[in-house]
Amino acid sequence: MTGRRSLRVVIVGGGTSGWMTAAAIARLLPARCSLHLIESEAIGVIGVGEATLPHIRSFVEKLGIREADFMAWTRGTFKLGIEFRDWGKIGDSYVHPFGTFGRGKGEVDFHHYWTRLRHAGADVPPLEAFSYACMLARANRFEVPATDPAQLASTYGYAYQFDALLFAPYLRSIAEGLGAMRSEGKVVEVLRDGTSGDITAVRLDDGQLIEGDLFIDCSGFRSLLLGEALEEPFEDWNHWLPADRAVAMPCRTETSVTPYTSAIAMPSGWRWRIPLQHRTGNGYVFASAFTSDDAAAQALTQAVEGAPLADPRFLRFRAGRRRRSWVNNCVAIGLASGFLEPLESTSIYLVQQAITALIELFPEATVSPVDRDEFNRLIDLEYDRIRDFLILHYHATTRSDSDFWHYVRTMAVPDSLAEKIELFRRAGRVVKYREGVFLDASWIAVYVGQGIVPEGHDPRADLPDTDSLMRGMQALRAEIDATVAQVPEHLRYIDQYCAMAAAA
Amino acid sequence: MSLRSILVVGGGMVGWSTAAALKRRLPHLDITIVPIAPPADALADRIASTLPSILGFHGDLGIGLGDAVLRTGSHYRLGTLFRNWIDGAPDYVHAYGRTGMPIGGAPFASVWARAAQAGAAPPFDTLSAAAMMARTGRFVTPQADGPLSEHSFGLTLDIPRYTAMLMAFARHVGVQGHLGEMAHVEQDARGDIAAVVLEDGTRLTADLYCDCTGPAARLHGTMAVPREDWQAWLPCDRIVLEEVPGGDAAAPMERVTATDHGWRWVGARQRGAVFCAASGATDEGAVAFRSGATLEPWRGNVVAIGDAAVGVEPLEWSNLHLAHSAIDRLIAMLPAGRPHPLEAAEYNRQALAEARRVRDFLVLHYATARRDTPFWQARAQAGLPESLAHTLRLFRERGRLPYYEEETFDRDSWHAVLFGQQVLPRRIDPLTDAVPPAEATAALASLRHRIAQAIEPVPTAARFRALQMERLHERA
Repeated sequence: MTGRRSLRVVIVGGGTSGWMTAAAIARLLPARCSLHLIESEAIGVIGVGEATLPHIRSFVEKLGIREADFMAWTRGTFKLGIEFRDWGKIGDSYVHPFGTFGRGKGEVDFHHYWTRLRHAGADVPPLEAFSYACMLARANRFEVPATDPAQLASTYGYAYQFDALLFAPYLRSIAEGLGAMRSEGKVVEVLRDGTSGDITAVRLDDGQLIEGDLFIDCSGFRSLLLGEALEEPFEDWNHWLPADRAVAMPCRTETSVTPYTSAIAMPSGWRWRIPLQHRTGNGYVFASAFTSDDAAAQALTQAVEGAPLADPRFLRFRAGRRRRSWVNNCVAIGLASGFLEPLESTSIYLVQQAITALIELFPEATVSPVDRDEFNRLIDLEYDRIRDFLILHYHATTRSDSDFWHYVRTMAVPDSLAEKIELFRRAGRVVKYREGVFLDASWIAVYVGQGIVPEGHDPRADLPDTDSLMRGMQALRAEIDATVAQVPEHLRYIDQYCAMAAAA
Repeated sequence: MSLRSILVVGGGMVGWSTAAALKRRLPHLDITIVPIAPPADALADRIASTLPSILGFHGDLGIGLGDAVLRTGSHYRLGTLFRNWIDGAPDYVHAYGRTGMPIGGAPFASVWARAAQAGAAPPFDTLSAAAMMARTGRFVTPQADGPLSEHSFGLTLDIPRYTAMLMAFARHVGVQGHLGEMAHVEQDARGDIAAVVLEDGTRLTADLYCDCTGPAARLHGTMAVPREDWQAWLPCDRIVLEEVPGGDAAAPMERVTATDHGWRWVGARQRGAVFCAASGATDEGAVAFRSGATLEPWRGNVVAIGDAAVGVEPLEWSNLHLAHSAIDRLIAMLPAGRPHPLEAAEYNRQALAEARRVRDFLVLHYATARRDTPFWQARAQAGLPESLAHTLRLFRERGRLPYYEEETFDRDSWHAVLFGQQVLPRRIDPLTDAVPPAEATAALASLRHRIAQAIEPVPTAARFRALQMERLHERA
């Protein structure tokens, strides 16, 4: 083996992405590097992404964390999907499940049979009635999925809804336990090598100089290293995703602790509802071109279900990403690399994918351009696919009750998305990818949920005769209902499994 | 308009497979076949060795091993042995299925590569039960668990008997045959096919046409679709093909040997040679072919399948596989009504991505070969398709295989050829740090030993087949 010296890794910024990165590298690459994280308590933590995707579970597992401990600590709840209200038109509601429609096993996707019966004029319930995950969510029940693939209860995955402000300290304790160093302070200067342009050190406000070989920018929207020091340009997607502000305000839970996140369309954007064990997170993501901060705060205050637990807090952002996330010896992870609104809970997912890619492509003494290009290719792919999926939510609507909805309904969308929509509209075809964050069932849920019912269907769905197809569907529904009825209520499951310590 | 009828033109394995699968899986459609004889250069109709995917294709049709293998005289095959692709290096077997398993949480391939860098690794194929069975002439179908559970296998077909079985099956499920020679096609004002006219004047029409006529693409070829030529990367353009008499005692693998101008092979049913005419080799019995693919296998109301869509040398036996994959894709994407350009575009995107990745895998053999003759020196210096260059860059740098959609050959296959041709990564996946080298060496030795023990009682391929035949007759 070549003589390997320990790589000095400097992470600028704590928060969710900084400490996720630190904990993962400390745990998975113990001998490869030393870790030094710089954060300032004077700079607030954004704490975006209280709701997650099922991928988070493998991250928690790889860190060697017991799920129940982690959930108790972060006051977490379970998540089976996202409920979308008022998107296709006012009054609509559908669940995008982390699961399949039907049993998800047949040669022909379930929705083709459903479409066929609808076109034949049969009285068929909404598609989500045939998704075990959706029905479990609607019934407000939860348990972990079955492992036997023959069971209906194996047809879904789950994620967490947790307090992001508690997540970072939890990861910090893990990372520090594994030897990561932490310095308190603000970065006031970034020093670079005159020839290569690589970052050599950062200077803190107390004068301390911290040198490193690899710099990870977790500084949030400011993008202190990648954006400010290395001046990597920002690709702006505001014309497709015009929301550029959010106002957040937690409140007391007055309704139920649902095993799903809600995304409720609003006149100039949408509102999230994320129930935790001890409170409910709320926020209004809006477009400043269409409404004012005051009006948005007022709309949010009126909409939340219980007494506010804090004053409204404003965030500003822009949809888009840095042209490259890894430049020279600087890798940006999280908001420093780009931003997509939390409509599909992808913020923490993107952090996790960047960390995974960085670990797989971790440099030795120097950064290889081959690794860097591959990292950027992987990250671009993730951003681009999520972007199209988000735009779909805004574009597939009949709403014209506000300037905002009129704009998104009529805006030009990326060609890659326009083709996907047209394929589905014609015959229910979903562009298949073997990899990627949102697979077939997710696209189907949103298309159908937002009113795109295919004009045709797969010819193979015509093979069974109508009576036996109807009987099969009724039997499936009965089995779903019976199975759901045996599952504990969400809160009861939490109480037994991972209740938080008595409220502080 | 609703899509009611499909006309398949071509009477080789590709044409009959297309007709049989369409009728079996879409029984409400009228399927007619004009079974004109496949030309000599239609390699998907003429190459007897096939990949494991053929079993999935049979499974979808409801054809079991009894019919597909035993009653048609087919043989099992576990992989391919490559010899002389690198001067002075040992031969290697690319067998199907998984090689090794993660050791201490680290990927098997990186653990092996680290040991190989230190000169402490047994040959990669000794850690594959399938490869070791193939080398020793043994065969057994995969077991429920244990060292003999991770392999898969393809078939070496007796083409006339196999085609006869497909014909019988197709007729049984209701495919209509229309005998005759094709004269020409009629096009409509849009450039679509309006009819296929036979020499006896019969005019056959359908809502969709499948062109299984080989490289001449007698239907699809009238539509002037641009073609991508791969000769710069795959310059071999001649093939000699012979039957092997009495192949019953043959090993369950092909032996592929690099020659001065290409390569030659011996399998259970066929042997042959593939070479590059421009490099000076000649053979009177050779048939010309050219590697490349049409950019739009589905255009208007015509879908090209087999050599009409994509042609490659048979180096990794993917010819019939690409045809099967096209059939599956067509069935999955078949519209209920008139074909729409968007559906065709999506079909074409997938088909072309798949064909290019098979091309990459074949080019890999040439790009990493090292032989001291002008043909091979030129191969080593030739440029690469960008997707393969990317793969090789990442692999040579740190053993990473980038993910591509529509990949035919899985990571185990890429590893078998890369390691077999002595390509080692410069750096090792950091996750391998967790496994001390001594522990890794012991794990590799132990695996090799377990495999050797496990295959010891396995019968020869001929014996295994004979036993299955006996059982088949007992049941009959």
